[in-house]
Amino acid sequence: MASERQIAANRRNACKSPGPRSGAGKNRSSRNAYRHGLTVSIASTAAFAKQLDKLVREIAGDSEDAITLERARAIAQAELDLARVQRAKIALIERARAFGELNPPQAFRTVTQIKRFFSALDRGRLILPKPVDSSATMPSQEPYRSAEAIRRVLPELRRLDRYERRAAVRRHQAALDFVGGMRPNYNL
Amino acid sequence: MRRRNELALLPKSPLLITESAHEFDALRDAFEQEIKPRGIIEQMYVHDISAIVWEILRLRRCKGAIINAAFRTALENLLAQLLRQPMQSEYDVRAEAKDLAHAWFTDKEAKKAVSEILSQFDLDESAIEAEAIRRSSADLELLDRMQTSLESRRNKALGCVAEYRASLGHQLRESADRIIDGKGVLRLEDAASTRSTAA
Repeated sequence: MASERQIAANRRNACKSPGPRSGAGKNRSSRNAYRHGLTVSIASTAAFAKQLDKLVREIAGDSEDAITLERARAIAQAELDLARVQRAKIALIERARAFGELNPPQAFRTVTQIKRFFSALDRGRLILPKPVDSSATMPSQEPYRSAEAIRRVLPELRRLDRYERRAAVRRHQAALDFVGGMRPNYNL
Repeated sequence: MRRRNELALLPKSPLLITESAHEFDALRDAFEQEIKPRGIIEQMYVHDISAIVWEILRLRRCKGAIINAAFRTALENLLAQLLRQPMQSEYDVRAEAKDLAHAWFTDKEAKKAVSEILSQFDLDESAIEAEAIRRSSADLELLDRMQTSLESRRNKALGCVAEYRASLGHQLRESADRIIDGKGVLRLEDAASTRSTAA
């Protein structure tokens, strides 16, 4: 295990880091916020908080017990997290279906294109490359268009699948905790 | 009535705009009839299982469409290989292969001609499909992994329903035993206050 001095040194060195330099690295780190966005608590938005409260009430029934309500809240939160990831998946596919890809079209797609641009510029010629329209390469008919959209966002879907899996595990654990702590009242 | 209330509270399963909500509901109803969920928590599991199975079906359709979409290029490649004479390069026959591959989808004569070319090499139309699968193998592999992951999630979700019911059953049995033994039943509120006192 690292000592406190080592940890402090690591932090100092990390502050000096210029961050990712390669295109791939920058691309990856640009998705950090998006990645973390899915783990942000859904209760942070008013609409979701209302939906969450309704669901908690339905799960907990008439109970006013704080522990029961807390356990019900854990189930409801995981359920809504799960729904959010499912919506994100669909939104990505629909976006790819409409635009052909998730990122806006770029002027330069390869390093060779950038080199060509600068060598032409050195010769005094300004040749601006036309951005490739990805939607033009999409099939026009269904089900091929949707299939192509899914194919193009498969890596993203795989990533979201992991979030979905975790939310499902959390919900199940919360459900077991809920019934585990439950003492049904027969003295009605 | 209660079921309708529970379903209204659960978030709706999002579908692609090309998918039918009616078909999804039918799938969900079929699972409901089999699992017979009791209470909103079990409804959540059924909801989840239906969504997973729907996604598996979506990926299966996608697989088929990807292979079909690769058919034309696959046929073109195959024909370019088969039409090439010993002293020719593939480039020399590429145009002919392209035309024939294009016509294969619409023209019966072209289809017959392709079959004859294939039979000269003891091949049939399955060779075209094999080439289409080979060309899309990277995507199909990724789809396969996703499908396997979803299938494992579906099985776990089914197991979760059973585990949840067993856990609930256990709690109910314990309570019933307490009634029979005459020890009285601990109310939810009592359990909470016992816990907080202990803490």
